[in-house]
Amino acid sequence: MKPTVEEIGTLLALKRHERPEEGFLDDFLRDFHQRRRAEEALKTGPAGWWHRLSSWASGLGASKWAYGAGLAYAGVAALFLLSPNSVQVQPTPIAPAMYKVEPAEPLKVEQLDALDWRPSSQGTTGEQEF
Amino acid sequence: MPDDPLQPDPDEDLVARARTGDTRAFDALILKYGEKLYGLVYNMTSHKEDTYDLLQEIFAKAYHSLPKFRGHSSFYTWIYQISVNMTLNFIKKRKRRSGGMSLNDIDSAVQMDPALVDTSHMANPEKQSKLHELQKRLNEAMLSLSEAHRTVVTMFDIQGIPHAEIARILKTSEGTVRSRLHYAHLQLQSKLQDYWE
Repeated sequence: MKPTVEEIGTLLALKRHERPEEGFLDDFLRDFHQRRRAEEALKTGPAGWWHRLSSWASGLGASKWAYGAGLAYAGVAALFLLSPNSVQVQPTPIAPAMYKVEPAEPLKVEQLDALDWRPSSQGTTGEQEF
Repeated sequence: MPDDPLQPDPDEDLVARARTGDTRAFDALILKYGEKLYGLVYNMTSHKEDTYDLLQEIFAKAYHSLPKFRGHSSFYTWIYQISVNMTLNFIKKRKRRSGGMSLNDIDSAVQMDPALVDTSHMANPEKQSKLHELQKRLNEAMLSLSEAHRTVVTMFDIQGIPHAEIARILKTSEGTVRSRLHYAHLQLQSKLQDYWE
């Protein structure tokens, strides 16, 4: 058998008398003020800016990754653009190039006669003697 | 407590003082609406600890947003709007986190709700046991409703808020509120039919 709408209403209305436990609101108020003071201390302390930044980022949802990637890219780009100016490069002294070539002494006739001109002495591609 | 443009907001003075940083005035607002909002959040989350934490967040948000409160609605409607939105967001997050709420997660206090125990049946253990069973099924049936339907049932049937006021709080039409209630009642009827004599 189905209950009527009125019967369901009556059943649900009984839950209207549901109340928090005795002393609930006193504890609640004390805790509320404690949390608020802690929040204020966090806001004014050195970690305040970080807290604000993280709560701002958490409120961004999925787009925070796009913001993060954009910031990281901008950071790397800025580093790349600024770093050559900041590094002092010392010029190294350059020695003058030696362009003067001293001619070698020409060989004497006796030295030429002493050379072995046979093909077998001219490497493997020459005519070979067996 | 409907928003009547001819009637001033009964909380106007407390709100004005709280806006200037008078913490006692805000405490008075917490004491005035704390229990009502507890009922709303508890019947929507079915969890005592979640209710406590959510209420803390609701009042903290209201406190920080007071400078933005222009008084276009009463403070009562405004804080109910904050409560409903934050509770619905919380339920959605909880669902995503745990893949839906299991009946094992329901607070045991909800299962053994003393408000539903009819004292005239105390002498009749059989009837008492049936009432407990019915109460358990009712809570299960409530949890099976969608968030939108559970919200209107909680506000209308449990909290006794009139249709027009619910429509104002949920920023919807009175027709939508009535239609959601009708559908929710049909669902509750069918869920409870096996346990009704």
